Amino acid sequence: MVKRFDAKVAVAGIDLDVPAGSFFGLLGPNGAGKTTTLSMAVGLLRPDAGTAWVLGHDVWSDPVRAKALLGVLPDGVRLFDRLSGPELLAYHGLLRGMDPAVVDQRARELLDVLALADAGRTLVVDYSAGMKKKIGLACALLHAPRLLVLDEPFEAVDPVSGALIRDILHRYVAGGGTVIFSSHVMEVVERLCTHVAIMAQGTIKRVGTLGEVRGDRSLEDVFVEVVGGRTATGEELAWL
Amino acid sequence: MAVSGQPPVALFVRLKLRVMANNMRGKGWRIALFLVGLAFGLWWSVAGLLLLAAPGFTDDLDAAVLASALGGAVLVVGWVLMPLILFGVDETLDPARFALLPLRRRTLVTGLLAAAMVGIPALAALVATSGLVIAAALLGGWGAAVTQAAGTIAGLVLCVAASRAVTSAFATMLRSRKVRDLAVILLACLAALLGPVQIGVTALLSKADWDRLLGPAHVIGWTPLAAPYTMGVDVAQGRAWTVPLKLLITAATVAALLWWWSRTMESAMLGAESAGPAKAAPTGASAVAQLFPRRMPWLPRNRYGALVAREARYWWRDARRRAGLVTFAVVGVVMPVMINIGSGGLSGAASPVVVSLTMVFVGVLGAATLANQFGYDGSAYAANVVAGVPGAVELRARLAAFSTYLGPLLLGIAAMVAAFLREPAWIGVMLGSLGAAYGSGLAVNLFVSLHGAYALPETSNPFAVNTGSGVAKSLLGMLGLIGAAAVAIPIVVVTALAGDAPVWLWLAAPAGVAYGAGAAWLGTYLVGDMLDRQMPELLQAVTPNR
Repeated sequence: MVKRFDAKVAVAGIDLDVPAGSFFGLLGPNGAGKTTTLSMAVGLLRPDAGTAWVLGHDVWSDPVRAKALLGVLPDGVRLFDRLSGPELLAYHGLLRGMDPAVVDQRARELLDVLALADAGRTLVVDYSAGMKKKIGLACALLHAPRLLVLDEPFEAVDPVSGALIRDILHRYVAGGGTVIFSSHVMEVVERLCTHVAIMAQGTIKRVGTLGEVRGDRSLEDVFVEVVGGRTATGEELAWL
Repeated sequence: MAVSGQPPVALFVRLKLRVMANNMRGKGWRIALFLVGLAFGLWWSVAGLLLLAAPGFTDDLDAAVLASALGGAVLVVGWVLMPLILFGVDETLDPARFALLPLRRRTLVTGLLAAAMVGIPALAALVATSGLVIAAALLGGWGAAVTQAAGTIAGLVLCVAASRAVTSAFATMLRSRKVRDLAVILLACLAALLGPVQIGVTALLSKADWDRLLGPAHVIGWTPLAAPYTMGVDVAQGRAWTVPLKLLITAATVAALLWWWSRTMESAMLGAESAGPAKAAPTGASAVAQLFPRRMPWLPRNRYGALVAREARYWWRDARRRAGLVTFAVVGVVMPVMINIGSGGLSGAASPVVVSLTMVFVGVLGAATLANQFGYDGSAYAANVVAGVPGAVELRARLAAFSTYLGPLLLGIAAMVAAFLREPAWIGVMLGSLGAAYGSGLAVNLFVSLHGAYALPETSNPFAVNTGSGVAKSLLGMLGLIGAAAVAIPIVVVTALAGDAPVWLWLAAPAGVAYGAGAAWLGTYLVGDMLDRQMPELLQAVTPNR
């Protein structure tokens, strides 16, 4: 299975293979082009050049088959948040052409596992930021996709929910699924991923298995070196 | 060290100008839209200026009283109603953005008021009302001119303050689930104000009985509606003693309006959208059963059904859509009744052709609510893109959901107008015209909603639009209205040719509805095909920049 990007918008030519069954972390500072890359990969943003393949299906020329295999949690995109949690799940399930009985059963399980069942008929717009992430993840998981594309899944999530989401994703990968997610939290990536790519200024700087990229240093050191950040000397902001 | 002291008002104006300029930077079409808006505004304002200055050239004091009192009143009422019904308000400076800054409420209100005065509508109003200054100068010399200049500026402040206060209050009410029904009724009353104005204008044009209007004009001159605009004429008539009183009336009104605005602004800044923990009780119903509204048991439990159910829920739960729906409901009921009664009063009896035309107007206006249907969704539309919903299914579901609201409403309007005119036999022609116009309108607006989609700001004010998109909104709306009316015109032509023929009175309803249904179906087919190829571009167009 090959998954390849080749586009230049905020992203200046990227070629990336995500091996099937891998837990792939896409690292990068703010504005590196992570969201743009993932949007192009799932069919939300048309690339100027190049294309993306999902398990042998081209997202841009064969969108129906490719999108059926994809589960997506976009970042900075609203949900249909004037629906309650169960309503939103039912909407996503039926939109994917699932059987209503299966939707009901899976929705109940997902809401239970993600501790969203208590919210009852509260509209998603009134959820907390962490709850919104969780219901978004539930929507992405509902149709049991073979590839999960998650943009910043751990942002704004409390530690308990974060651990829960990590467990779910671990089990999903163990069951043969593939996960690619973006983040700028090193610890999460280091703990979860089998493969890592570091992006900066719209290009891939390093890519490979976690061991290959990290070597014998910590991932954070490699990241700061690749991205070229500055370190505080203690002289600045003395008035603070 | 914390910085104390409040920023000057000029800072807000500079901020607004800077945001406007940045919005246009590097975007040719936005500059073009702005210039078109400016040209329109100047065209109308110069027309207004000439009209208001005319009594000065003819040296007619009575006409000057009428022009200043009635013109002023129309202007103020227009400033209050237009943002609610047609254009929305320019929230370039969203009050919520200032919530974290240490600003006194007084600073914020005066600053935002000053910023609101910068823009095409305010400029147009200022140009138009300077016609009153010219008239005052010609009639009463320098003293009258200077007085009226002060009055004109005070009047502009009054207009802007009134428009801001009223839209902000309605936005607050439509957001809150508790009092939104009250807001609906209030909006209805406000729109019903259009009725008396319409009748007044019709009567004025038909009888040209100016003298009878002088009395009411004097009275209106003492209300906040026209107090600032009649000062110059008063001086010219030798009643300079009224000036301080009228200034006082204006100042008191502005102060009251600003106080009201600051109250509702606070709730907007707090983002009082939350309904609290209400309805938290878990229900036994399954997820799918919860999604589908109980009043639509016929919906299939599949993709199409889910789309219809979600849209139907959204038309009521989303404050912006609800505002569009309610506004149409009010205008759609009031306008045809008024036009038909007005024209009946003129010619002795209403005719099927006039009725048919007004119904075309109502149907087209109803469908125009969909002109930016994807903009209402904003970035949430991404869910449908990711799921790969076929364009035609998407559009058919949207039309079906919208029609579950508009269908009964249109039927009700036809029945009501027929009852008002005491012509039950015409109901067939009315339904036929409505059906044809509504269907054609849907088809045309599907096209507009795909190619003219624009992002709405993510504020909680359902009336808010971005700078520039106010112009885009009205232009696209006009285009949609004209296009849809053109498509629907065959029904009116047949009605005009057939006259009162009993065959047509019976045949009109099925023929018109079939015509409309055919047009709408063709629209979903054609536009659906385009949508299939443009989903990511559409998503980009409706995603707000942040």
